[in-house]
Formats: sequence, structure tokens, C-alpha cells
Amino acid sequence: MLNDLLFELGTEELPSGAVLPLAEALADQLKMAFSKENIQHGKIHSFATPRRLAVLIHDVETVQGNQKISRRGPTVAAAVSTEGQALPSLLGFAKSCGVTVNDLTTVKTDKGEWWMYEAENPGAKTRDLLSAMINGAIAALPIAKPMRWGAGDATFARPVHWAVFLFGDDIVDAHVLGVKTGRHSFGHRFHGSEEISIPTPRAYEALLKEAFVIADFAERRQLIVDQINQIAKAHDFQPIMPESLVDEVTSIVEWPQALLANFEPEFLEVPSEALIAAMQSHQKCFALRDKQDQLLPNFITVANIVSINPEQVILGNEKVMRARLSDAAFFFRQDKRQTLHQYRDGMANVVFQARLGSLEDKVNRLQVLMGHLVDPLQLKDSQAIRVAELSKCDLMTGMVGEFPELQGLMGYYYARHDNEDEAVAQALNEQYMPRFSGDELPKSSLGLALSLADRLDTLVGAFVIGQKPTGDKDPFKLRRHALAVVRLLLSAQAALNLSTLIHDTLHGYGDLQSTDSCIVELKPFILERLHSYYHGIGVAQEIVYAVRARQDDWLYDLDKRVHALLSFTQRPEAVSLSAACKRVNNLLQHASIDPRLHDVDKNKFTETAEKALYEHIRTVEQRISPLYSCGDYSQILSQLASLHGPVDHFFEHVMVMIDDEEIKHNRLSLLARLQNVLQGVADISLLQQSP
Amino acid sequence: MKKPTTFQDIILTLQQFWAAQGCVILQPLDMEVGAGTFHPATFLRAIGPEPWSSAYVQPSRRPTDGRYGENPNRVQHYYQFQVVLKPSPLDIQEKYLDSLRALGVDPLADDIRFVEDNWESPSLGAWGLGWEVWQNGMEISQFTYFQQIGGLPCKPVTGELTYGLERLAMFLLGVDSLFELPWAKTAQGVVTYGDVFHQNEVEMSAYNFEHANIEALFKQFDYYEAEAQKLVALQLALPAFEMVIKASHAFNLLDARHAISVTERQRYILRVRQLAKSIALAYYQTREALGFPLLSSKVCDVE
Repeated sequence: MLNDLLFELGTEELPSGAVLPLAEALADQLKMAFSKENIQHGKIHSFATPRRLAVLIHDVETVQGNQKISRRGPTVAAAVSTEGQALPSLLGFAKSCGVTVNDLTTVKTDKGEWWMYEAENPGAKTRDLLSAMINGAIAALPIAKPMRWGAGDATFARPVHWAVFLFGDDIVDAHVLGVKTGRHSFGHRFHGSEEISIPTPRAYEALLKEAFVIADFAERRQLIVDQINQIAKAHDFQPIMPESLVDEVTSIVEWPQALLANFEPEFLEVPSEALIAAMQSHQKCFALRDKQDQLLPNFITVANIVSINPEQVILGNEKVMRARLSDAAFFFRQDKRQTLHQYRDGMANVVFQARLGSLEDKVNRLQVLMGHLVDPLQLKDSQAIRVAELSKCDLMTGMVGEFPELQGLMGYYYARHDNEDEAVAQALNEQYMPRFSGDELPKSSLGLALSLADRLDTLVGAFVIGQKPTGDKDPFKLRRHALAVVRLLLSAQAALNLSTLIHDTLHGYGDLQSTDSCIVELKPFILERLHSYYHGIGVAQEIVYAVRARQDDWLYDLDKRVHALLSFTQRPEAVSLSAACKRVNNLLQHASIDPRLHDVDKNKFTETAEKALYEHIRTVEQRISPLYSCGDYSQILSQLASLHGPVDHFFEHVMVMIDDEEIKHNRLSLLARLQNVLQGVADISLLQQSP
Repeated sequence: MKKPTTFQDIILTLQQFWAAQGCVILQPLDMEVGAGTFHPATFLRAIGPEPWSSAYVQPSRRPTDGRYGENPNRVQHYYQFQVVLKPSPLDIQEKYLDSLRALGVDPLADDIRFVEDNWESPSLGAWGLGWEVWQNGMEISQFTYFQQIGGLPCKPVTGELTYGLERLAMFLLGVDSLFELPWAKTAQGVVTYGDVFHQNEVEMSAYNFEHANIEALFKQFDYYEAEAQKLVALQLALPAFEMVIKASHAFNLLDARHAISVTERQRYILRVRQLAKSIALAYYQTREALGFPLLSSKVCDVE
């Protein structure tokens, strides 16, 4: 027999960020519970609105699958007398299982032999298990900030009002978070009227829709997108719809109604990013652009009601928006009364980090660091110093205080307003790139330098005071900064040495190196991000390790080697050369002398195979030596491929570890030379032996 | 009920509404506070097991918000209407919506939302979860379920509703500047909010930003702190709490004078928090010693 199951938890308005994750977690937890209890079921449909989390599970078996029982009794040795009689411990065990000794089996493990009772019981009725299952699932929900309410002890994201729990057409009796389950739900807070009686699980969605609630998150989300597009299309507008904003708006309405509103065109003098931030982050509204990508003095707000007086809702929203944009316009005007440079004055009073000094200290360190980057990145001295000097000034402005996400961008606008060098202005914005993984990198070297310097300063500072991230705790967002450093260095052709950069940065902290410094762990920490970066683009880890065995300080060069090695591994010779390399390494490891210190003596060759290998090595050496100076690692590796024949031939015909010490040493020296050639780009012995 | 047409109508309507809901209607605390939460009827009554329902207007002072009466939305002295219900009833949201209806708001015309907004006061060692309430995108109230006060867990939980009266009034009465709000209609004509408070804003802004005596204020802070510590040791929680309120206001004035750096700021907040915690505990102990008087059921039906 199959029954549908419905569970709905009715709450006060949930935090918008919790709506979807909680609904999904509830469905997942129930799915796990059904699988653990061995109860078959069909499709799971989850519902999520600000006031409810619900799950509809189709075709649930009314009886649990058979339950395997397995109990271990006394050891065989201890439970039977020497005469072969069952001792009381065994009889007692059988009795406790409700059977006789004849029904027991034994099991042997490497630790001994035991009596076992094994049986299969018919499953229980699903209905009898549901109350415990739902409470287990709810207890396992990830509530970021649980709260209590009233005089009760229940805790949840917000107070709970009702719980619908149906199995087939019947109520499942249970107590959930302080409420008794039933079949009564409630519709929209204002449009829905009386309570709704749900006769059967599959009627849920349609009945809620009648009560002005679109319970399905995806459906509601799509409706919002459609409504916005429809309005935009009618006016030939392009809506700006970030996914996260659409999700957030979907999480705060049950019955969406998009409305078009306007603001005064004068506000468009304010940088569009600031206006968009005001519309999105404070008012959760959608900004609009015209065909030429110019911001329009219009926005779309999504109401939670179909108002009997939509004009009133629009006017209200316009009034709030006007106040918000006035703030932005006020800050923009006010901020420009000083030059960006003048904002430096207040920085001494702003703490960057208690033990790492003020923002001014940070800027001073950045200036020194930028000095180190002038030569390698071929920056203009004056620009490098100026951009560092101005780098954090916009953090002191009213606009960035109000909209922190505009950091850098406001620096750009204000620098341009002050007639700073265009390159400096651009770099002020680029210093925060990449802002997230996958974001674009700075286009200018000046921007790249500042981004690098800023992040290194933060990373080094945090490690100096022993604040290395642990587990989920990464308050300085060091992992993100480390990944950015990796991406910046991979892209920078200049000879920038990671260890040197860390050292130079550390120097800026002067005496601050305290006892809890974990600075030695910084380079490995950054290189961990290198691995995750390559993993993300599908490069096998052993390729990265093979290259790192050569060098892991100049990441631009490392990247070239990685890509060359990637195509090398596609060649048929790669496998046998890697194996040969491993063999050479083994042989050299066991050598009693250091063969690298001895030249190969041609006259000591006794076999043609070693002579041939030697000649080949010399040819390859001559060919690849100029290739190293231009870093053409692909060419070098394809030259190595030609060694594959002679190397195999050598190992087939030549014994290395022979008694004649002189010849043996000469052969080891030859192999050392081979190793040198083979492993110049990467330690290919580390490559996996599968094609 | 008639739709309110003046600022004082709104206050009277809210008082009447919450009185009918069984709240003790109190008068404002006669001290300078930054918010209605500082009133002992909220902060202290939220501590311990005793039930408590109250509503009152609280004039609030935030010296840094002063704009010499030039900004139509910001003032250093303004009014909050505060409601506390302990334990928070399950229909507290409905009650709140009914209060809006009493003010003439129709939730089928105006878009009312409960948007997540959690409250934390580091200096009071207090936090709670709740919402800001939006009317057509405008925040008109704060709604908080207290979880902790002065470091003590709130059991039962107090529900706190705070109406920003000027903002709510501007919205309800369709006025763009709070100084133009009609306060009352008198025989001499309409008296506006500006008539009552504009000069106060100009002069108090000048005092807060320019003339408040920094040296004296630092001394006051230290004095009130020492006084509070002495009083807590004597298990005199209420006067000790008044000292914290005074210290807090001194701090706010120093802040307006930019006399406190960012790092120092944190230290001052910690000093107040220490006091708030010990006072909360002392209050709990003194109520306990009295046998939590409001717990005894002396409820009788009043016709």
C-alpha cells in the first residue's frame, strides 16, 4: 500500500537567507530518515515561503521494509562446556533473543568466534514511525541563529505557529516544536482569510494557491522574473537582475506583484554603481537600464500583495527611494568637498587590526611594498607611490561608509574628480580585483601591483599574529586573498618570487614578529590555493607536484611548465619516460658516490647502448639549452620524447649496478646526466603511471 | 476609530490601543536615553520570570544624529513608542498589525512586510531576533524577541515593539519634513513639530557638537561608573542602572564631540557592558529575594 505524505511547518516570517536552505535541508533530512528506516517512497517535492517550510512525498510505503536483526552473544569458547553443553551465558542470550540455542549461528572474526542471533522481522507501520522521523529531521536543520519565544522551550529560526502532518488522508499525531500537528494551514497573511483544511497531501499546493500563496519556490521565483521582464519589455528597459537579489525577493514574498516606480533624473549624476547599490541592498528593488546600458531613473519593486491601491504602494516606495538616493547624492557631494588625498588625515584613528596598527600604518607599508614592485612590474615610480598613498582613502568617505561594496570604485570616481593620473584612478578600483573567485583580474600592471601588495600585507599580518584560518573560521578572508595572490602571480609575466614577496612584506611589519608567528606556514598556505585553483580547472594534482618539485616561487613560469607538462602527458612516450625517470632516481639513490660530481667518461663505455644514450643526451642537451632561456617548455618536453627509444634500449641491454666500480660509477654519472635532462622542466617521475 | 490627523493623535491612538490590550501605560523615563530599551520597564523587566506588559512614549537622544534642524529626516531628539509584552504572546504580530489598522493602515492597500533585522546592543550585553517592519518599503517599526539581557538568558521571552513615531507620522500624514508634522490643532491654529522642537534642535546640535565640555564629560563618565559599581555592590540595582544611563549619555556626547577614538570606543563599550551585566544580575537577585512578586496570580476579572 502506498500513501502520500505532507508535512508543513507554519512560522512567522523567516530570515530571507534561511527560507530555501531550510526547506531543502528538511527534504534531505526526511529522505535520509526514510532510507535509514527502509521505507520506499516516490518523488519528494519541497516548498518554501517566508511563512512555511513544507515537504510532499509521493507514494510512501505504509509498511517499513523487513528489519534485519543482528545481535552478538558470548564467545564460543566461553559459552560451551568441555562436554559440549551450552553454559548459562549462552542459554540466557538465546532466551533474551526469544529463541533456542538451535536458532543461533556463530561468526568468526580475526579476534575470535562468537554466537550470533540473526533474523528478519517484518517492518513496522510507517505511520507509527513518522512522529519520531519528523522530529529528528527538524532537530537536524541548520539554524544559524536559533531563538526561543513566549514562555516555551522550543527553539527555531522564528516562532512556529502550526504544523500540518498528513499521511494519506489522515492526520499523523505528533508534537513538533511546541505545536500539535493537524490538517489546518493558513494562506497569505493579508489576502488569505480563514484557516485552510487540507484533505489530502496532493491537494496542498492548489489549496494554498487559492489562498494567495505560491508555495513552490522555483515557481514563485520564475513568476517574479516574468513579471519584471514583462514590465521592462513594455517600456523597452533592461532589468538588472542579480541571481542573489531574485532569490532574496522570492524569500520575502508569498504572492509577488512587481510594480514600476520612478525617481528624479537628477540623481543620475551620482555614479550608477552607487545608485544600483542603494536600490538593491537597502530596498531590494531592481534597477533598469536602457538599450545603451545607461541607468534609467526607474526601478521595479516587488510587493507581497495585490494592492487595492497600487499607486499608494508605488508612491510610498518612491518616497523611500528618494530618501535613500538623496543619501547617496549627499555623500557624493559631501565627499567631493575634500580631495581624496585629504582623507588620509583621519586614517591614523582607524584601526586596521588591533595588533597590526591603523589604516595609516597599512598604507605606509603598502607604499614600501609598491616600491619593491616598481622594477619587476615596470611601474612608474611616481604612480606606484601615489596609488598606494590614495589606496585606502575612499574607506574614509561617507559613500563607502554607507555602501562598503563600493570600495575602490569610489576611489576611482573621486580620484578622477581630483584630476589624478588616469592610471592611478583605474588602479584604485582594480586593487580589489579579483573580488570573488572567477572575477576578472586587474587590467593594468599598477592595479595588479596594488592588489597583490594589499593582499600580501593582509596575509602576512594575519600570519604574523598567529591568525591562520582554522576550519570554517577565516575572519580575514585569507583563503580568498591567497587565491587572489595565486591568480595574480600566475598572470604576471614579471619575475615575481613568492618567497621574496613574503619576505619583503614581512619586513614592513618591523618588530611585530611575535612568538606566535606562523609565517613559515604562509607560503604552503598560499600554494594550497594554487592546488585548488588547478583542481578547479581540471589539472591533475600530480602535474602540479611534478612542476613544484622544480620550483614554486615564480608562478608565471610554473604555469607555463604546468601547461607544457599537460600536453606532454598526452604523448605516448610520457608513460615510459616517467617510469624510466623513477628507475633512474632509485638507482641514483642507492649509489654510494654522488654521480653528479663526476663527468661522464666516454672511454669507459663498454656497451653500444650506453654510447648511444650518451650521444642522444648530448644532442638533446644542445637543443634544449637555448629553449630554457626563452622558457619554451613545450618544445623542451617534446625534445625529451625522442629519448624514449635510447633510454628503453639502455635499460634492456645495460646492467648498472655491477661489481666493476669504475664502470658502475661512470654509468651512474650518465644516468645523473639523463636525470638532469629529463627533470629539467618537472619531476616527471611523479606522474601517475596510467596513460 | 477615526484616522489620526496629528502627531499627538497617533500617540493617543497607540496608547489607547495598547491599554486595551492590557498594557501598563507608563510615562517616559525622566532621563536622557538613546532608545526606549533603556527604560527600566524594558531593560530590567525583561529579566527574570515575572510577566510584564507595558507601553510608553520615550523621548530619545542621539547627539551624533543632530543636524541643526536642517535635515528633514534626522534629529538628535526624537520619540519612540515602545511596547513590551512578556511572555511574548503567540499573536503578537497580529496585535501589532491591529495597532497599524487602528492608525488607519490597510494592509490590503499598503504593502506591509516583516524583514529580518536582528538587534544587538554590545554595551547592554543584550541581543534579540526579529524584524524591521516595512510599509511600502519604509521602515516604520522594529520588532524584537529578546534572547539575552545583561548577559542573562530571557526566560520567558519579552517581545519588544518600537515605533519610530516621527517617521511613522510622516508616512501616515503624508508629510515630507518632520518639522512640518502637525503636532496639534489648537484654537490658535496648527502647531507643528517644528514649532515645538526646531529651536531645540538648533541649540542642542550646537551644544552636542561644539560646546559640551569634554574634560568634564570624561570625569562624569568615570564618576558614574564608580558610583554604579558601588551601588551594585550594595545590591541597589535600580539606582546603579540610572548611573549606567548617565554614563551612557556622557559617552554619547563625547562621541558627538569626536573625543573618543575607534580603539578607545571599544574599551568604553566594554566598561558599560560590564556594568550592565552586574546590574542585570543584581536586579534578578533582588527580585528573587522579593519572591518575584508579579508571579503571584492576583489576576481578577475587571469588567
